[in-house]
Amino acid sequence: MIEPYLAFHGVTKRFGDLDVVAQPFSITVERNEFVVFLGPSGCGKTTLMRMIGGLETPSSGAICLEGLPVGGPDHRRGMVFQSYSSFPWLTVAENVLFGMRYRKDLTEQQKLARRDNYLELVGLYEFSDAYPNKVSGGMRQRVAIARTLAAGSDVMLMDEPFGALDAQRRERLQVELRAIQRRDAKTIVFVTHDVEEAVFLADRVIVFSKRPARVMADIDITDRLGAERPLELRDSPEFFQLRNGVLRLLREAAGDEE
Amino acid sequence: MTDISETAPVTAPDSRPAATAPRLDPSSIWAFRGTLSRRAQIGIGVGTSVGLLLIWEAVARIGLVNTTFLPSPSTVLSSMLMMVQKQNLLQHAGISTLRVWVAFSLAAVMAIPIGILMSSYRVVGAALEPIIDFIRYLPVPALVPLSIIWFGVGESTKLYLLWLGTFFQLVLLVADDMRRVPHEYIEIAHTLGANTRQTLRDVAFRAMLPGLVDNLRITLGWCWTYLIIAEIVAADSGIGFVIWTARRYMKTPEVMAGVVVIGVIGLVTDQLLRAIHRRAFRYL
Repeated sequence: MIEPYLAFHGVTKRFGDLDVVAQPFSITVERNEFVVFLGPSGCGKTTLMRMIGGLETPSSGAICLEGLPVGGPDHRRGMVFQSYSSFPWLTVAENVLFGMRYRKDLTEQQKLARRDNYLELVGLYEFSDAYPNKVSGGMRQRVAIARTLAAGSDVMLMDEPFGALDAQRRERLQVELRAIQRRDAKTIVFVTHDVEEAVFLADRVIVFSKRPARVMADIDITDRLGAERPLELRDSPEFFQLRNGVLRLLREAAGDEE
Repeated sequence: MTDISETAPVTAPDSRPAATAPRLDPSSIWAFRGTLSRRAQIGIGVGTSVGLLLIWEAVARIGLVNTTFLPSPSTVLSSMLMMVQKQNLLQHAGISTLRVWVAFSLAAVMAIPIGILMSSYRVVGAALEPIIDFIRYLPVPALVPLSIIWFGVGESTKLYLLWLGTFFQLVLLVADDMRRVPHEYIEIAHTLGANTRQTLRDVAFRAMLPGLVDNLRITLGWCWTYLIIAEIVAADSGIGFVIWTARRYMKTPEVMAGVVVIGVIGLVTDQLLRAIHRRAFRYL
């Protein structure tokens, strides 16, 4: 049997007497798969993602990367947050370079080359010397993505990274992120409560119920929409249909609130 | 610039007076929550201060007040010059400044690591907070007798009193600065492979630095308050001593001259630290 790349084995989580994930959670994620955790706000999807990063530990069960249980945080599992995603006292280029600061296996020259390469990739090369407060919110998120890629993360963990952006910027970044993931071959676990974002980005969407989190559906998107995701896809009837289907599921997931 | 306005002859003659009009319109400086140019702000600040001095001078000269109690600004200034020449006023000011900086540096060097530890490790915070909160509320003057019993009337008493007044305030402010560092920064550092020491040094400390410098500036001001108390109680040098000696002989102009010197030192220090802050933290 082939070892799954990333696997949740019967994971549950309690914070004190608050059940965040009550029903044991088990899924496997393939290498270079783009998985989106979709669910109502506060349902526990973020907690599950943070466990992959080693920022939380499961109350029971285990998470394995390439067959080995994950421990504390390290550079192989990078994190992109919605806010405070880059350091304000470093320039754009310094932020990206900071991603490799604790890597002893790279020479200074390699680090600089990687920095420039990833700045180029996210289209920020000409803003290298700007401080984050001088660039747009979308660019700040690109800085965080470039930093995580430069750090050499195999798994990129993204916690509603585009949640604070306006609609146009969000769409553009979604297209770019999907392209980057295809080109750079990264496994991404992405948390959001935005259905369109989930369907547009994901190879696979996991729909969660409200807390305590339970898997409502595990939908293969690539099967239906294909792997390439140009912006025009958003206007196609297939996309629309799929989005509506997922939206209905999510409404059920949110349950009888309101 | 002229080329551009000339290519649009229809709007140019109209827009020119319109552009200068708001500057001449006196009501614009009263715009609710409006802005003012830096130059205008400095001008208004200087103008108000000078105006106040002129009124004061006039009041004293006309004889509306007894000049024994409120001498005119010009009298204060001339006694200040006399004190510089004959009473070593500048040396006294220098000694006071030195005391403030020694005690303040001592307080800062102790408060910064302790404050950081209090916010980084809950156990340190839990252990120290009650003690610090208790001492923080004790007024420094109330501790003067005790410090004289402990340290006599020498230099160490003054330094101790100044340290006492600033250390306990500062330590809580530092702890607060550290607590306000967004947790995301810490987690980013961890997921990039930083250990605790590296995270503290490269990320948390860097993130708290602007707030820290601001709090140092504010506590330095408090330090001056305690300095005068310390120098009045037991000293044979320093601005506080000069003021207190002048009071004994009812030399009001000299008392006020001493007070003005403190004000000027405070103003200059504060502006200096603000300038450093602006320069060091351009990214804010």
